[in-house]
Amino acid sequence: MRLALHLLQQPKESVEEFTTSIGKMRQKIQFCKEGHNISDDDKCSICNNASRDKSTICIVESIRDIMAIEDTAHYRGLYHILGGVISPIEGIGPSDLNVSTLIERAGRAETKEIIMALSPTIEGDTTIFYLSKQLQAHDVKVSTIARGVSFGGELQYADEVTLGRSISARIPYGK
Amino acid sequence: MYLESLKLLNFKNYDAQALELSPKLNCFVGKNGMGKTNLLDSIHYLCMCKSGVMRSSDRILVRHGEAFFRLDGIFKREEKRENIVAKIIGGKSKIIERNKVPYKRISEHIGLLPVVIIAPNDTQLAMEGSEERRRFWDSTISQSDAKYLKNLLIYNKVLAQRNAYLKSTRYLDESLLGIYDQQLLAPAEYISMKRKAFAAIFTPIFETAYRKISNDQEKVSLVYKSKLLEHKLETLLQETREKDKILQRTTQGIHKDDWDFRINTFPVKKFASQGQLKSYVLALKLAQYDLLYQKKIVPPILLLDDIFDKLDNDRVKQLLTLLVQEDFGQVFITDTDENRIEKIIQLFDVDYKKFIVNRGQIIDNA
Ligand SMILES: [Zn+2]
Repeated sequence: MRLALHLLQQPKESVEEFTTSIGKMRQKIQFCKEGHNISDDDKCSICNNASRDKSTICIVESIRDIMAIEDTAHYRGLYHILGGVISPIEGIGPSDLNVSTLIERAGRAETKEIIMALSPTIEGDTTIFYLSKQLQAHDVKVSTIARGVSFGGELQYADEVTLGRSISARIPYGK
Repeated sequence: MYLESLKLLNFKNYDAQALELSPKLNCFVGKNGMGKTNLLDSIHYLCMCKSGVMRSSDRILVRHGEAFFRLDGIFKREEKRENIVAKIIGGKSKIIERNKVPYKRISEHIGLLPVVIIAPNDTQLAMEGSEERRRFWDSTISQSDAKYLKNLLIYNKVLAQRNAYLKSTRYLDESLLGIYDQQLLAPAEYISMKRKAFAAIFTPIFETAYRKISNDQEKVSLVYKSKLLEHKLETLLQETREKDKILQRTTQGIHKDDWDFRINTFPVKKFASQGQLKSYVLALKLAQYDLLYQKKIVPPILLLDDIFDKLDNDRVKQLLTLLVQEDFGQVFITDTDENRIEKIIQLFDVDYKKFIVNRGQIIDNA
């Protein structure tokens, strides 16, 4: 309603300009072919950035987690958005998540380490356990971020310092 | 330990009520359906974060037409005041506060204020399925061991996920099933170990309790039954994997444990008389009380709901004598007959308060 009133008060031309640019944005926006981040190209700005460390991939549940980790400025590697955690109660099985693209990325020679930054919940545990088994065949180091109480439940609520520190001091995942 | 004062807002048939309580004996008197049990239930809720009589959701505890309820109790525990507040908003969001600080996990509150409820439907413990008995032991052990409840919550969550997965698709990923199996092992082992240890302590206390309330000379027994006593859960789950896939649920684990109730070697469910059955379940509850008392140092709060309907006057007298003799804590009793309760209480020299309950209104009648 408030938006409608605002638009009525604007000159017709500028409203049209505004709607076309929104339309263009929607047309251009897509998911990164690599890590499923949102992007206005085939690959997202993180994957395309030559200064990022291509040997490390951090697995997160959603785009919000990428924003939270990027805010810490402690991480220089790449990301892989899983799209959630395994939770059959909510109808999410392994095939509903971006697992196959992850396995494919893990198989590349350049990939050396995979960090799992998932929720400190039972479902998060299940997913970490599951992925680490799927990754066993590949020659990659698997680690998790410290998933203590300081996280307050979800990644995006963790304060930057704690999150940055736990990304730097990750724990090797025992199989 | 005792409840000093209690405030209810929109709880069941109460709009706004405040009560100052006796540290010893409190009687709620009134006709059926006036809200006596609801008062006991509000106390149970403050101790256990859930209803002691209703098995359904918190939503139905909210007064009809209202959006929330609030319970506020001031407990005296080891010379310290504990202000516990329970709030349900919109039937969904549940907040439990201890001295103004909300718990991060509600389960952390369980055990702080031990409580035992004796109610007319206790016979379900012996007559119904194994779920009733697991609920009874889980509630008892959880109140004396915080780690037990934590493990139980993990186990139940993993089990629910495993069952949902078994139902979700015909193309099951064996690797994921294996992970659920692994996740069940540690909590199951802990729970199984505690249930076994608990049965060993509980049984003699129960036998003594039965002897005290029953004039008969029957020999009662109580045996913990679990496949995990002889087999490893890991092996059981592997062996039944194919069966589980067909049935679409987990058929082995501590959620299948049970307790075998017997009188003179005969199963209570089939062979006990009404009197024996009542004594048996009453003894279970009294043993629960004694055991929590021993474990928690502070005496539990005892809620006696309509025991006169359940037991004859002599047994009630016997029960109260037992309680008075044994340095009991705070007791709450409901009764429909004011004269009956008055007469019985006067046999004992004990501090007490009487409240007349009428259609969600309370008249303090000290
Ligand atoms: Zn990307």
